Amino acid sequence: MMIRVKLIANYREALPPEAKHGVVELDVPDGTTVYEAISRFDIPLNDESVIVLNGLTVDMNTPLVEGDMVTAFSAIAGG
Amino acid sequence: MYGWHLRILRVNLTTHKVTTEDVDPKIARDYLGGRGWAIHYLYKEMDPMTDPLSPENKLIFATGPLTATPAPTGNRYMVVTKSPLTGALAHSNSGGEFPTWMKRTGFDMFIFEGKSPEPVYLFVNEDQVEVRSAAHVWGKDVHETTDILKAETSADARVACIGPAGENLALMAAIMNDKHRAAARSGVGAVMGSKNLKAVVAMGNKNPPLHDPEGMRALSVDTSKNVGADVKKGSNMRIYGTSYVPQVTNTLGILPTRNFLQGTFEHVNNIDGDALKNQYLIRHTPCYRCPLSCGRLTEVPDGKYKGKGEGPEYETISSLGTGCGVSDLAALLKANYLCNEYGMDTITTGMTIAAAMEMYEKGYIPESVIGQPLKFGDHDAMIEMIKLMAYMEGFGKDLAMGSYRLAEKYGHPEIAVTTRKQEFPGYDPRGSQGMGLLYATSNKGASHMEGDVAYEEVFGVPVKENPLTTEGKPELVKHFEDSFALMDSSGLCVFVAIRYAFNKDRMILPERLAEMMNLSTGAGYTPEEALKAAERVYNLERMFLLKAGSTEDTLPHRMLHEPLPDGPAKGKVVELDKMLPEFYKVRGWDEKGWPTKEKLMELGLPM
Ligand code: SF4
Repeated sequence: MMIRVKLIANYREALPPEAKHGVVELDVPDGTTVYEAISRFDIPLNDESVIVLNGLTVDMNTPLVEGDMVTAFSAIAGG
Repeated sequence: MYGWHLRILRVNLTTHKVTTEDVDPKIARDYLGGRGWAIHYLYKEMDPMTDPLSPENKLIFATGPLTATPAPTGNRYMVVTKSPLTGALAHSNSGGEFPTWMKRTGFDMFIFEGKSPEPVYLFVNEDQVEVRSAAHVWGKDVHETTDILKAETSADARVACIGPAGENLALMAAIMNDKHRAAARSGVGAVMGSKNLKAVVAMGNKNPPLHDPEGMRALSVDTSKNVGADVKKGSNMRIYGTSYVPQVTNTLGILPTRNFLQGTFEHVNNIDGDALKNQYLIRHTPCYRCPLSCGRLTEVPDGKYKGKGEGPEYETISSLGTGCGVSDLAALLKANYLCNEYGMDTITTGMTIAAAMEMYEKGYIPESVIGQPLKFGDHDAMIEMIKLMAYMEGFGKDLAMGSYRLAEKYGHPEIAVTTRKQEFPGYDPRGSQGMGLLYATSNKGASHMEGDVAYEEVFGVPVKENPLTTEGKPELVKHFEDSFALMDSSGLCVFVAIRYAFNKDRMILPERLAEMMNLSTGAGYTPEEALKAAERVYNLERMFLLKAGSTEDTLPHRMLHEPLPDGPAKGKVVELDKMLPEFYKVRGWDEKGWPTKEKLMELGLPM
């Protein structure tokens, strides 16, 4: 199934060159979880990162469905 | 004592008489400094019902015990007064260099009273204090004024001043320092303008003596190293400043778009941190002694938006940009530069124009009144409106009163997205419930800087909170409000102070911040005492607010009754009624939101 991963700001360096505006499409096996999808990229997976599914706070073991977007950014005070 | 000079400069602008006074060391300790000292004096000396633009209002510039010390980011001051925009309290924070130079005059705080019969500026070089004519700079913008006053005083001096917006009493007027830094919110620049005070020019060599200079140096080096390690790893704050945030808030569906009619912006890629970095960034510009250096000098080199300056910050992108539906980055930069030159808060400026755009599109304000079309996304119209506001010309007179008064005047108060008549910053609280509680209860009207729980709800610092839930938010908001009162009183910038104020267990003890204060002052605060003092400051501000008649903790119509139509928070409104009663309990306030006698006694505050 096709899903999308979006990495924001400094995390974009971990994306392959075909990514556009920080978004890359991935073909992943059914049952792939949020955690499995995001672990394909070289970013910290501890509390240094915020990872959301379709913009929502979810358990990292949530299985993905076709068309989902997983987004990650560095946890840092800003704004 | 150390850290503080324990000296105040009082300037009567009516008579041009200048006096100095000492600060009681017990008051100094109990109220921390900066924001805390300022509210102590304001509450003691001024009737909260005072007309904000009358000579009776006082305007206070206050540094903290860490300002002008080696503490990294010890470069802040607070401007505290009664706000003409909100009718409540104003406390606006700024960094850059001026605050450090101000403290080096040997005074912690300047209090301005009365009203000068003609335009003046204050020059302070340690004990040489002069109220001088400002006739030659009245009418000039912030950049020109700064250059002229430095040229006629000293290249070693630093300048805080107002631009045309402050002179003309626009209610979103800021006080700018070092040209690009702003004590922006709540119309503090209009108060300065109402006093005919164009600028304050400060210099001197009186660094505050430190209780433990060696210890302070060691802790400062350690903190800088800590920040440096983050920067090395590729900190977003260094690379992008706050301009990386639109992508974050857009992802969560809380990016204010078209006056909060939406929570996501379809053109966000045009105006995000990468677009800015790739097209217009020249270099990073730190405030004094800051290892993070989040400021950015940018330039639009040619064309009709040609200009150069600092910014934009996230809050400018979310107001003058997405708030107005504007996706042209060069035009947005121009709007930002103009606000800095005229001396205007970009949040209130942008969101007031956004409200006018919505009212124009809905037919509530006719084109004949505005003088031209004013659609969302029309960046040239936006730039024109900024000029009209700064100079109070035509429709600019209506705009310069802020969105609340504008919407009310044209019969549609439901359009204004404000609390206590102040415009919302860049987090739609329908998708960030804790921010909703914060905006509703903030002592200065809607503001993220009052206790930015977006750190947890949005940025995951120090821990990630679900932004859509209400459970635990009253405690969270209280804790952030008190922590921000502590940071604002200390003289540090929150972007860095937050690293020592918080720990992963929800930072119950701001150990490092208290330690830093002790090394500076020798006051021997325990972390609990420092936080208690911050709570004292917060409650005293609350009393000022209530006695000024601003007693209603609520949110505007859109936030309570119009569900977000798009994005991850679709269908949500702010569930304020689920949080507010609990918040009052957590605060030790009665069911109407007044601090109880017991709470006031516990904090040692007057009844
Ligand atoms: S973090 Fe940014 S705003 Fe804060 S002191 Fe440093 S440069 Fe200034």
